[in-house]
Amino acid sequence: MTPSRTPMQQVQASLARRRRKQITLQVLGIGAISAAILMLGLLLTTLTLSGRHALTQTHLTVQVFIDPAEIRADRLPRGGFDDVVTAAIAALIPGADLSNREGRREVSAISSNGAQFLLRDLVVANPALIGQTIALRFPVSDPYDQLFKGLIDRATPEANRRLNDAQIARFDALVAAGAVSTPLNWGLLFNADSRFPELAGLRGALMGSFWALLTCFVIAFPLGIGAAIWLEEFAPRNRISDLIEVNINNLAAVPSVVFGLLALAVFIGWFGLPRSAPFVGGLTLALMTLPTIIIATRAALKAVPPSIREAALGLGASRQQVVFGHVLPLAMPGILTGTIIGLAQALGETAPLLLIGMNAFLTSAATSPFDASTALPTQIFLWADSPERGFVSRTSAAILVLLTFLIVMNALAIALRKRFERKW
Amino acid sequence: MNPTKISACNVNVFYGASQAIKDVSLELADKSVTAFIGPSGCGKSTFLRCLNRMNDTIDICRVTGDIRLDGQDINAASVDPVQLRAQVGMVFQKPNPFPKSIYDNVAYGPRIHGLTQNRTELDEIVESSLRAAALWDEVKDRLRQPGTGLSGGQQQRLCIARAIATRPEVILMDEPCSALDPIATAQIDDLIHQMAQDFCVIIVTHSMSQARRVSDRTAYFHMGNMVEYGETEQIFINPREKLTETYVSGRIG
Repeated sequence: MTPSRTPMQQVQASLARRRRKQITLQVLGIGAISAAILMLGLLLTTLTLSGRHALTQTHLTVQVFIDPAEIRADRLPRGGFDDVVTAAIAALIPGADLSNREGRREVSAISSNGAQFLLRDLVVANPALIGQTIALRFPVSDPYDQLFKGLIDRATPEANRRLNDAQIARFDALVAAGAVSTPLNWGLLFNADSRFPELAGLRGALMGSFWALLTCFVIAFPLGIGAAIWLEEFAPRNRISDLIEVNINNLAAVPSVVFGLLALAVFIGWFGLPRSAPFVGGLTLALMTLPTIIIATRAALKAVPPSIREAALGLGASRQQVVFGHVLPLAMPGILTGTIIGLAQALGETAPLLLIGMNAFLTSAATSPFDASTALPTQIFLWADSPERGFVSRTSAAILVLLTFLIVMNALAIALRKRFERKW
Repeated sequence: MNPTKISACNVNVFYGASQAIKDVSLELADKSVTAFIGPSGCGKSTFLRCLNRMNDTIDICRVTGDIRLDGQDINAASVDPVQLRAQVGMVFQKPNPFPKSIYDNVAYGPRIHGLTQNRTELDEIVESSLRAAALWDEVKDRLRQPGTGLSGGQQQRLCIARAIATRPEVILMDEPCSALDPIATAQIDDLIHQMAQDFCVIIVTHSMSQARRVSDRTAYFHMGNMVEYGETEQIFINPREKLTETYVSGRIG
């Protein structure tokens, strides 16, 4: 300190340095946020670019003559549905040759394998259709879907292309006949899984995730709140409660795959619960969500001002009345927020579900928590692993569906918080 | 002096290893106002909180000695603090209405203690309590609005109404006016005077003028000891102890 400078001069001298620090801090902060937004934008853009192809599905509409020679009412549900559909497609392609096996296969390969089952279900439901001609709309098979969406480049040498010139010419004939359309792909949400990408949907995964989350909520919410209330409001402060507290915090940090191994050993191995069942998945996720809910609830209970407790105690309320009449209602917004964030985490959890077998290939959706099922993240895992090209865009679309649910849940958490937040 | 309501004998309070109250003995008269005065940290609030066992809620706090309400030992194992607190109401330093309606704030005590049989009786208790707290005229048209929306002085009177509504015999007030302006304080002072007709009122205060205005008897606390206890006039005009004199004359504290 030089005595020649007055304190005011020293303050002035330090101003520039302080301003510089302030600006550096702001620049760093803005930079960090920008980087985060950029990454998020990149993720969403790539997912959308890839996933948008799965939002529509190329369909073929043809007039099908339900030939009584092929389909007999007394033999339903058996019948030559495949041949009938093939004939209907061939009718739109000039020069289509159905006389030999090779030619028939070329034409029938344009339609999805599901087309014949679509027709079969219609006829079984209404056998009076036999002998009539009806308009039938069905998905085309994956390569033609790719072709119509421009994902197969016609300029590629024929040998390296998934469809040869003759196949493309046949499809172009169908396009020229006005039989091809691309409606919204509701099947993505409402179909169960399938080996054929044009038929595969998320219904099984959505139902599985729904049952698993429901189980998780029903178990983890009351248990978590109960444990938190006891620890926060009633437990004596001693070594045992300290030990419990430390272990709950540790539990929150345990890798999820360990919970999966635990569930495999205990729920499936010892208790003999069914494999691949959302109920077991829910139990496993509940184990993982419990610490989150307990920690969030304890924080929310702690945040209730002591003056409210004192007021109620001073009036002669018992501790139970204080907790359930005053503290818990005031802590509810925080508890709900914590719970929903815990459930959102559980929704995206993959590893423990893989270990209990919720990644089985299943073509029907679970109707109860005890049916075998996949869940959204494991379905994404399955699809990402599938060789068919159509699953590439479907994987991205499934991720977008999962992200949508996560965003909705987080928005719900914010809305609940705003709705129930009260001043004191 | 009116008959004794509460008698304390050799009361000691410890927070962990440190002693907050040292061997305090005094008798508190019914239907009168007793003020506890003294510098911050002297133990007056701690002693007040012994009288309705609010110190039970602090884990490290330990109370010894004998405190009797109408001759009954309040620390006896047979006494449920819930019942004691219904008998000995409390008003706190900071107004702390529940985040509920004005009506529900006052009705809370009667509801949890099951004091009323029906809605009409409850309405009556709420009205009479709000009247006794001189708040009725100001809030009678907005009983359904949140108690937290009132002004500070109104909130504190609401808390007094809430305490009165459980029909206690003793009302403890822990610096009830420290967060209020002089006008609100004057209203509470009037109220305390009124309350002394029905209750044994004990008030902790930092304001010597308030102690002088409202109380019949005053106890002076210093460093956990009760230095002097007597008629308010005598304490302020003619204190026996040197410590009391320096405090009430404004030279310390």
